[in-house]
Amino acid sequence: MSNPVIEAPPTAPAVTWQEGEQLARRASSRRRAKRLVLLAAGWVAMLLVWNVAAYYLPAGVLPSPLEVLIVMWEIVASGAFAANFFASVGKTFVGFLVAIAVGAPIGYLMGRYTYWRAFFHDGVTVAGTIPALTYAVLSLIIFGISDLGPILSVALVSVPYIAINVAEGVRGVDQSLVKMSQAFGRSPQQIRRDVFIPTLVPYIFAAIRMSFAVAWKVEALTEVFGGTNGVGFQIRSEYQLFNIDGVLAWMCLFIVFMLIIERLVLRQFENRVLAWRPEERVGR
Amino acid sequence: MAVLTVKDLYKTFGAGTPRANRVLDNISFDVRGQTFVSIVGPSGCGKSTLLNIISGVETHTSGQISVTSDDGKPARMGYVFQDPRLLPWRSVRKNMLYVQDQADDETNRRVDKYLDMVGLGKHGDFWPGQLSGGMQQRVGIARAFAVEPDLLIMDEPFSHLDAITARALREQLQDIWSQSKKTVVFVTHDVVEAVELSDRIIVLQPGGKIFEDITIDLPRPRRQTDPAVATLQAEVLARLERMKGMAPQVSAAP
Ligand SMILES: Nc1ncnc2c1ncn2[C@@H]1O[C@H](COP(=O)(O)OP(=O)(O)O)[C@@H](O)[C@H]1O
Ligand SMILES: [Mg+2]
Repeated sequence: MSNPVIEAPPTAPAVTWQEGEQLARRASSRRRAKRLVLLAAGWVAMLLVWNVAAYYLPAGVLPSPLEVLIVMWEIVASGAFAANFFASVGKTFVGFLVAIAVGAPIGYLMGRYTYWRAFFHDGVTVAGTIPALTYAVLSLIIFGISDLGPILSVALVSVPYIAINVAEGVRGVDQSLVKMSQAFGRSPQQIRRDVFIPTLVPYIFAAIRMSFAVAWKVEALTEVFGGTNGVGFQIRSEYQLFNIDGVLAWMCLFIVFMLIIERLVLRQFENRVLAWRPEERVGR
Repeated sequence: MAVLTVKDLYKTFGAGTPRANRVLDNISFDVRGQTFVSIVGPSGCGKSTLLNIISGVETHTSGQISVTSDDGKPARMGYVFQDPRLLPWRSVRKNMLYVQDQADDETNRRVDKYLDMVGLGKHGDFWPGQLSGGMQQRVGIARAFAVEPDLLIMDEPFSHLDAITARALREQLQDIWSQSKKTVVFVTHDVVEAVELSDRIIVLQPGGKIFEDITIDLPRPRRQTDPAVATLQAEVLARLERMKGMAPQVSAAP
């Protein structure tokens, strides 16, 4: 065997551990700063492109970012945003509850019994690959102009995610914990409540996180065509008045706040509920 | 404390089928009072099956078995498994409370007492995932003691631990057991461990017959380093060398 080549580390190692930790800290803050600069540069570039496009396109087609920002402020200040935003969020969450009520039992059967798995598997897979737009249209056909349309479309989009994840969760239940519970004389209800449900919770969170990203877009889309309130409905109203800046203002506000819910609120809630999972505490 | 009586016990898995497998063959013994009994044998000889029959999780094919408490009532049993088997989403203390039937002050005090005894009095609010494997196993032991069982059943509780941790836990187990009045049935494949812990060792041989029933008469507390313990360990190992299937474990072949 030839002699292994041992290379020197790329930078000189620290002499003391304090020094080492300080070097590591400095390196990580340098990385963070670099990331922030690039993030900001991305935003500036995007707004710049928008501004230039607004300038060269015929008047009235694309308002500039500043004009949209002013309209956004007016919408927020008038209180219209809060009312419609919460209407949309409310419908999204009711849709989720419906999806859990339907999807969780299906997932439970799929995870627990092989024949039910055979029965549901292809249906759930197909339902998961149908484009969300189809569900929006279907909900409109069924409910017409109503609050129920957006709720149904959210539910339809989310059911496959919930079912597949719950099935995965049920199969992930640790049988040795079930045996331990039985040995100590725990009742089936206790085992369901203290072993099954806690195993499922992380899987349901995963399902919610995945489907929420799709659901709020479908919800707004359904509102555009068949809403009586909510952000999607406002977008349509502005469009019918040819207020492009209004359309864009509502859209931007909606995207910003939904991303906040998706990235911050849901994740915070999840971290709190799943505090027992060591890996969950290493949030990004 | 409990009275455990096993008489002419047979267990055949898949009885009546071509793949019938006799695992326990004419087992008889009884245990009463504050006795620490080990069941020793090579893996696959039916030790866990015997425990499962005693605890009522598994049925037997023929023979009699009865477990009662000293005063004739049905015995309360506690279990320690090979792995800790803690609910990861419950704190240490709530794991101990999970297997309790009551949640009154007295139960809480008892739980804290046993947590203290295994040296984890300050870790009641930790998640199991924040503890080392040895600490988790200690919680499992405290959990079993805290149900105040008449009969404590332990199935190779130290076999997954490193030698140093296992040794510390064996000493701790002896101390707790000496203070509490409990009958213990302890399964292990490690003869040395059995000699250190037990008043009596029942040796099973492959095929599920009792090979030897050895009484260990040594003063307590015993420590692995006691010369008397070491002498007896060597003696018991020598006696078991006659048993087929046990030999590879006894001779320390590389
Ligand atoms: N549920 C079961 N069904 C069929 N055979 C089993 C079952 N449980 C254990 N056995 C068989 O019984 C024998 C003894 O197993 P076990 O009691 O687990 O041994 P030990 O605990 O001594 O290692 C093994 O041959 C095993 O294959
Ligand atoms: Mg075993």
